[in-house]
Amino acid sequence: MSGVANTFYNTLVKRNSVYVSAIFAGAFAWGIGFDVAVTSFWDRWNQGKQWKDIRDKYATPAEED
Amino acid sequence: MAGFQTAVKKAVTLPCTVRTLSSGVPCAPLLNLAARAPTDGHGHGHGAAGPRSDVPPKWAGGVARSSSSGLVSKTITTSPTSTFTTPRLFHTSATNKDAPQVPDAPYQAQSDSTNRALSYFMIGSMGVLTASVAKSTVADFLGTMAASADVLALAKVEVELGAIPEGKNVIIKWRGKPVFIRHRTQDEISEARSANWKSFRDPESDEARAKRPEWLVMLGVCTHLGCVPIGEAGDYGGWFCPCHGSHYDISGRTRKGPAPLNLEVPEYEFNDAEGKLIIG
Repeated sequence: MSGVANTFYNTLVKRNSVYVSAIFAGAFAWGIGFDVAVTSFWDRWNQGKQWKDIRDKYATPAEED
Repeated sequence: MAGFQTAVKKAVTLPCTVRTLSSGVPCAPLLNLAARAPTDGHGHGHGAAGPRSDVPPKWAGGVARSSSSGLVSKTITTSPTSTFTTPRLFHTSATNKDAPQVPDAPYQAQSDSTNRALSYFMIGSMGVLTASVAKSTVADFLGTMAASADVLALAKVEVELGAIPEGKNVIIKWRGKPVFIRHRTQDEISEARSANWKSFRDPESDEARAKRPEWLVMLGVCTHLGCVPIGEAGDYGGWFCPCHGSHYDISGRTRKGPAPLNLEVPEYEFNDAEGKLIIG
């Protein structure tokens, strides 16, 4: 356990430049991950209610338009 | 009630605490006049038991009982009296500590690396959250400057190219302005390309104005004062503005009259898969 902690400290934290860049990169990745998670939750919560779910019922005959 | 009164009236032995009355007379209420010195002399130098040696002599004053202010001590000799009142606070018990089990020595970690990674991890996580909050705040703010969906929906216009025969004009409305689309014939193309455009008022080659020679797309707004020119008219076989008599050639370039510039060419592109022209 302390090995993991020391590895984390030595690779990421020791140099402030690395630490700050890691924080920004983490913020970027976290933002994307948060978006994906919330979107998938939304889709699961509203399953069967959204246009992309019911499009097959209505859009097939109107394709020639 | 009776018990309360006895408790109040009980005489206790206290050190002589003298306060000064407003008249300047020192006053010692609740003084036990019956108290006697302990027999051992308790080490303050007045020898064996007997009359107290620290009692002032009778001629120097004395204690009298008064009905208004209790006991009154009168001193005839000149002695310094207190000029202000200080209550004496007695502390007879040991100091009670708040948390007696906490050691006095400050906390000392076992080594430098104890909890170090955890602390930095927490700091870093807060930094990640803060940075993403700041980023989304800025992004949302910039998003308020973007065009809304209804504006974007009107920003582009699609035109079916197959419906326009050769040698015909089509006028459509795009962003509130007329747009001329002409399907030019081969003769018109060669005429537009062979003209000596460098001598024109607003020199511009036909290649620069039409992405494809057979399709000429331009805004139908006269560059003079904004009238809509009439198609297939004028001295040069192009457009003619009836307001002030500007003539445009088959490439939409101004050739005669007051118009200072060529007819403006909007952004457009061709969608070959669906045979459509997309303006905007």
